[in-house]
Amino acid sequence: MDISALGVAKKYASAKTATEPSSSQSAGEYLAGITRDFAATLQETEETAKAAMTTGADPHALVQALAQTEMAVEAAVTVRDRVVEAYQEILRMPV
Amino acid sequence: MSEFSNALSVSSSGLQAQSQRLRHLSENIANVDTPGYRRKTIAFHTTMMGSDTPGLVETGRVRMDQSDLARIYDPTHPMADESGNYEGSNVNLMIELADAREAQRSYEANLRMFEQTRQMGRSLFDLLRR
Repeated sequence: MDISALGVAKKYASAKTATEPSSSQSAGEYLAGITRDFAATLQETEETAKAAMTTGADPHALVQALAQTEMAVEAAVTVRDRVVEAYQEILRMPV
Repeated sequence: MSEFSNALSVSSSGLQAQSQRLRHLSENIANVDTPGYRRKTIAFHTTMMGSDTPGLVETGRVRMDQSDLARIYDPTHPMADESGNYEGSNVNLMIELADAREAQRSYEANLRMFEQTRQMGRSLFDLLRR
């Protein structure tokens, strides 16, 4: 009886390491890279839009930049929605 | 960034090139009655976008068509020579119109590609949302 309880504790301990988040630095760096990329896309589009409005720059560049930003914003919003949904799922879990 | 945004830039460069082609065509058509005007032609070539990603189309140098100018008989014209002829332009309206129509079709094709790329990207994110 005592031995089997010990076994369960051991199993539980090994399962705990599997659920630990992987080295958080690489994931954080990855997310930071994506965010930086996103911000750069937004800024580029803003500058292109400003140039198109004030100096009459090429409208094709403006359309392309807007389409790219739309895609980037959509991706970011989708990922954020999924993350928020996951948190809510955890919060709803009966303790 | 992603292949989608690469495709968008390639389509956008195609749109830009075709609109520039149309600009020179309209210049030719506008100058069809200008004495001594030579029609302009424009060449397209590919540029490398990144390390080995082929892609963007770019317009090259504008060239003058070196074919003979049309000789028009009009002794009252201020530029007429002793025989009463003066040199008109070498623009052929038929060729210019056909070329303009081709430019329009190519522009539409690029536009469709642009739209399709956007649609594909949107469908992909729709998949993620479900």
